[in-house]
Amino acid sequence: MPTQTVMDHTGDTRHQFDATDQAAVAEAEKRFIELTGAGFTAAKRTGNGTSELIRTFDPTAEETLFIPRLIAG
Amino acid sequence: MNSLLIAFAFVCLLGLGHALSLAAHAVCTDRRQSRRTEEKARALLRSWLTPQQANQWDTRKEFEVIGSHTGTRYRIRRATAMNIDELDSRGKVVTQWCFAPQGELAVGDIMLAQKIALETMEWNALASANRRVLRP
Repeated sequence: MPTQTVMDHTGDTRHQFDATDQAAVAEAEKRFIELTGAGFTAAKRTGNGTSELIRTFDPTAEETLFIPRLIAG
Repeated sequence: MNSLLIAFAFVCLLGLGHALSLAAHAVCTDRRQSRRTEEKARALLRSWLTPQQANQWDTRKEFEVIGSHTGTRYRIRRATAMNIDELDSRGKVVTQWCFAPQGELAVGDIMLAQKIALETMEWNALASANRRVLRP
């Protein structure tokens, strides 16, 4: 089941959705737009330890990780 | 009068004891929560590493990544500041970099964000980073 993982102060929060459920997909897309709009970077897992950035919602992505905006440390 | 004072002192001591007990409980709960957060972040990090990186992480608590634009090799160490070493072809550290995701995040989350940033958007990540050049 596709999962959206959002890094946060608890470690992370995960949201799973049923890719065959239109309402669930719409909710996942809304979350994607809200998070990326707020400055989060979205990365899709592409393989064993590999990933790629995505700028638009991909309902086929099995796992998408949302990383807060990067700043100088 | 004396017995009233003694009773009053006794009640005060009971109240103080109860307050101390609550404070100790809160500290323990915070520490447990913090430990759970760190463990969760480490598990997430581990799950996004390549087999080679996972092996490095398991043995040395650090791992190497290749920059997406320059092919440069970086070593990400378990720390929250100046924990990215840029390596030359002989494995010597030439520059240390530091950038991190905004907010109060666990070390594992910070390291995972650094890995993905360097592997997918190296120039953008370093543009926002602090750096210390060790060898010109």
